[in-house]
Amino acid sequence: MGWLTLLVFSPIVGIVLLLLVPSTQAKLQKRIAVICSILPLIMSIIVYQQFHSGADLSIRVPWISFGQYPFSFFVEYELGVSGFSLVLLLLTAVLMIVSMVTATMQIKKGWKQYALLTLLLEIGILGVFASQNLILFFIFFELTLVPMFLLIGKWGGMEKERAAYSYLLYNGIGSAILLIVIIVLFANVGSTNYEAIANASLSTELSMGLLISLLIAFGVKLPIVPLHTWMVRVHVQAPPALVMIHAGVLLKIGAYGLMQFGIGFFPASFQDIAPVVAILGLVNLLYGACIAFVQKELRSLFAYSSISHMGIVLLGIAAMNEAGLQGAMFQTISHGLIAALVFFLIGVVKEKTETTYITRLGGLSRTMPLTAGVLLAVGLASLGLPGMSGFVSEFMTFLGIFESMPVIAAIGTIGIILTAAYILRAVMDITFGKEVLAQQGIADLQGKEWIPVSIMLGLILLIGVFPTSLTHSIQTSVEAIVLRIGG
Amino acid sequence: MTQIAWIIPFFPLMTFLLCFIFQKREWHHLCSRVGIMTTGLALIGSITVLIGQMIFGNSEAVISWLSIGDTVFSIGYIVNPLNALMLVIVSLVSFLVHIYSKGYMAGEERLGTFYAYLGFFTFAMLALVLSPNLLQLYMFWELVGLGSFLLIGFYFHKAEARAAAKKAFLMTRVGDVGLLIGMILVFWQVGSLEFSAIFQAVSGGDMDSGMVTLVALLIFIGAVGKSGQFPLHSWLPDAMEGPTPVSALIHAATMVAAGVYLVATLFPLFEASDTAMLVVAITGAFTAIFAACIAIVQTDIKRVLAYSTVSQLGYMMLALGSAGYVAGVFHLTTHAFFKALLFLAAGSVIHAAHTQLIGEMGGLWKRMKGTGWLFLIGTLAIAGMPLFSGFFSKEEVLLAVWKEEHYVLFTLGLITAFLTAFYMFRLFFLVFMSKKIIPYKRRKKIFESPRVMILPMVVLALLAVGAGYIHTGWFGPFLGEWLASGNEYITLHPHEGAGWLMAVTTLLTFLGIWMAYLMYQKEKLDRNYLSEAFPGVYEAVLNGFFVDVLYQRTVVFATKCLGIVGTWVERYVIQGILHFIEDITILVTKLASKLQNGQVQTYGAMVGVGLVVLLLIGLMQGRFF
Repeated sequence: MGWLTLLVFSPIVGIVLLLLVPSTQAKLQKRIAVICSILPLIMSIIVYQQFHSGADLSIRVPWISFGQYPFSFFVEYELGVSGFSLVLLLLTAVLMIVSMVTATMQIKKGWKQYALLTLLLEIGILGVFASQNLILFFIFFELTLVPMFLLIGKWGGMEKERAAYSYLLYNGIGSAILLIVIIVLFANVGSTNYEAIANASLSTELSMGLLISLLIAFGVKLPIVPLHTWMVRVHVQAPPALVMIHAGVLLKIGAYGLMQFGIGFFPASFQDIAPVVAILGLVNLLYGACIAFVQKELRSLFAYSSISHMGIVLLGIAAMNEAGLQGAMFQTISHGLIAALVFFLIGVVKEKTETTYITRLGGLSRTMPLTAGVLLAVGLASLGLPGMSGFVSEFMTFLGIFESMPVIAAIGTIGIILTAAYILRAVMDITFGKEVLAQQGIADLQGKEWIPVSIMLGLILLIGVFPTSLTHSIQTSVEAIVLRIGG
Repeated sequence: MTQIAWIIPFFPLMTFLLCFIFQKREWHHLCSRVGIMTTGLALIGSITVLIGQMIFGNSEAVISWLSIGDTVFSIGYIVNPLNALMLVIVSLVSFLVHIYSKGYMAGEERLGTFYAYLGFFTFAMLALVLSPNLLQLYMFWELVGLGSFLLIGFYFHKAEARAAAKKAFLMTRVGDVGLLIGMILVFWQVGSLEFSAIFQAVSGGDMDSGMVTLVALLIFIGAVGKSGQFPLHSWLPDAMEGPTPVSALIHAATMVAAGVYLVATLFPLFEASDTAMLVVAITGAFTAIFAACIAIVQTDIKRVLAYSTVSQLGYMMLALGSAGYVAGVFHLTTHAFFKALLFLAAGSVIHAAHTQLIGEMGGLWKRMKGTGWLFLIGTLAIAGMPLFSGFFSKEEVLLAVWKEEHYVLFTLGLITAFLTAFYMFRLFFLVFMSKKIIPYKRRKKIFESPRVMILPMVVLALLAVGAGYIHTGWFGPFLGEWLASGNEYITLHPHEGAGWLMAVTTLLTFLGIWMAYLMYQKEKLDRNYLSEAFPGVYEAVLNGFFVDVLYQRTVVFATKCLGIVGTWVERYVIQGILHFIEDITILVTKLASKLQNGQVQTYGAMVGVGLVVLLLIGLMQGRFF
């Protein structure tokens, strides 16, 4: 069956084991869930090693066939990885563990269902990144939708139902558009294999139409302003442990899709609309930052911060050169880690102080010095401090976009200042601000809470100080895409 | 011997790691020791490298850090006269400040954190100085900014300290963006960020002159931010909220000089553009006199020194912009020593008097003679008293400007020299000499600082006196020759000392001191005469010409407005459109559901209509089903 299949479906082990344990034994369930979430990581590390030792990981098995000659269609079960999807798989596996650990501390009710749904969600995400066939991709893509809807709707905050429906509606529309694109491609190419589509010659108008549809479909996911309102709502309402996954990897499907399909399938058309994408990126970057600057609540602040950071991804993609694309991919991973850590901390703070309003959190560095310190560190990573992952991606992205569109790039650099402004405002008001936290004896980061913190902060520093540890994987993907743009 | 250069920054990094991990109270005595020891090692390493450079010449080594396609960005180290000199300045001042802090910060609750931050800053600053390319320089440029940010905000329970830290970070970041853009443009022109490659491209004419000017100006914006030049200067006086040893290290001797260092390092690039050079010179001269004016009326001992730093940095820029490479670097060196000395002495005063306001001091000479003498030496050095280091370097600066025939700027420089002597001695007389009696109770509590604080100042005082002799018209321009020897792109302009210039500057210095003496010591001149005659002007100068108010009312206000407008757009426009779509959907579904009312007749009618329509379409297409 191959390592990839084992990887994608490895969360099933956890699902089965959890189903066997009665719901009364919460402690055992938690232990099973956490241990089983390590399994995908082990598998993805094996895949990582196999990939870098040059082994062929792709699998191709006949799966569905319908119609009669001469109109027979075959859909194959195809898995494979590129450098970029490989690191996304790793990111998913890592964030799933830390999210699961976080959930054991923060999810109080219905733990069993929560764990089951999260593991199901993981299958979906892993499948999305490992697919080499659009139909298969779509199935996995839809598989992420349902668990997520249930998770938000059941474990969310005050307006959880609204957030869940908002999520379903937007992503449903996105999926519908994606499905249309897939059907049209299937009808025209006769296959949904990535390579076959990439090599097919489609008319210019058709490619342009399909590309714009893809931009909308994945623009919902990324999200691109003005398709972002659902995402802010989810960030605010969903439980922080889930937002770690959501902001960390689910949104990244948008970036992955734009690069893998948008540029991968329609390089020439993408070249034509690159300025539009760049302007969208600019809007994301500056609009998100400006709104983040006046937010009073932490989760919505970092939701807008995510929008702003995704602007960098768009700018990098729009640059259409090695530096820009590598920057966009790097930013995808880097922001995944940073956003996950931010929402972990927000979860911890919310747990202990029962508020996420900036003005009510003043003086955190007195009551929770370690939390405050980590928050400052991740804030600095977020504003692109050298030595942390954010800087490398920002540098590469701006390097790329300055070559192709210097004016847009120059305007974009304002975003660097704005980011620093809103991050410092938030972080300093919280950690160093006027002391308003009345409760004494609030426990600081302790015990198990250090696991997620040290993993994510460690990775942020690792790829910030030694960027080659990440770029030597994604470089192959970058080269493949650049080759297509050039050819 | 120069091959060990790359190790030097890692010593202070060890302080950072160790003190950060062991920051509990019981480890405090170890923290200061570790800090002093590692910076001591860094100092030994730096001196070794300096000597090695003098004997064996330059060296460079890089390793790959990041690759994009075929382009490799590297990190590593380079040793040339300029950065070997900087290396020694940074590690020496840092070493002395570490020792001094042991006394000054004694009893501080977060001493471990303090030493950790100091170590981090020193690490970043040393690595910045060793950078062989723009990217590495930029990275550590940002990291020293972080160190500065953390240390300014060290007393974070004070709202002023928090605001100052944030302001310092943001204002320098504005400059950094300029540097970033400049760097990226250089890359696309040259294809590399290594200094040597950039200089080759510039001297080989691979960059057209407009581009050279643009790039140089963008990079200069970065230097303006870091070195507190007008209009990005106002963070530096506010940065005085940090502990005084920090002001001495970061905001006097090292980090703020990084902007000057950047221009000096990229001197061949700047020299290739007359426009850029002129901008540098004008900015420097204007900042010098602008800040000196403000320094005259400040009432806080540290703010006087801060504005003085801004003004002296302006001098350095003026020198560099007037092709006075050696003069700029020379003044940087002497300034590092005497300004660090002044800050540490001021710290000693604050330590004893428990106040920073000049008005609450006076007559301290009797209580703290040692500090008084040291402060006097520093004051004489900065005022340009003959035989002190500042005299030689300032004269070198003015000479460079004169030779470049910038007569207006030269006049500004001369006036600044006079103002400097005046405001520094105003400070000296008011703090140490003034007869104003401090209430007996408070005066009794004032004691000389401990030896651990005095000793570092003594070392700096010796240098403040002696550092001038490395480059004089009398004994020989050793510094100039050495700096030019290690850099093929620097042409040394022979600067024979002009005797008349020496006479004029000396005269101005004495005039400044004399006026300060009359006004603040003898009180023969009414010190309030001008401020009472022109209250508006006085108010403006006291508030730094309202630059901050202007920023607050424009930039900060605009950002907030944009944010609020954005939220408004978010709430009404985007949500409004969504509601509209929602309403339409609901309307359509309602219409559709009305059709399904359960009446068979309606359904039958629908079927009939549908069939007719389909048939019509079929007929028109000419096909049948």
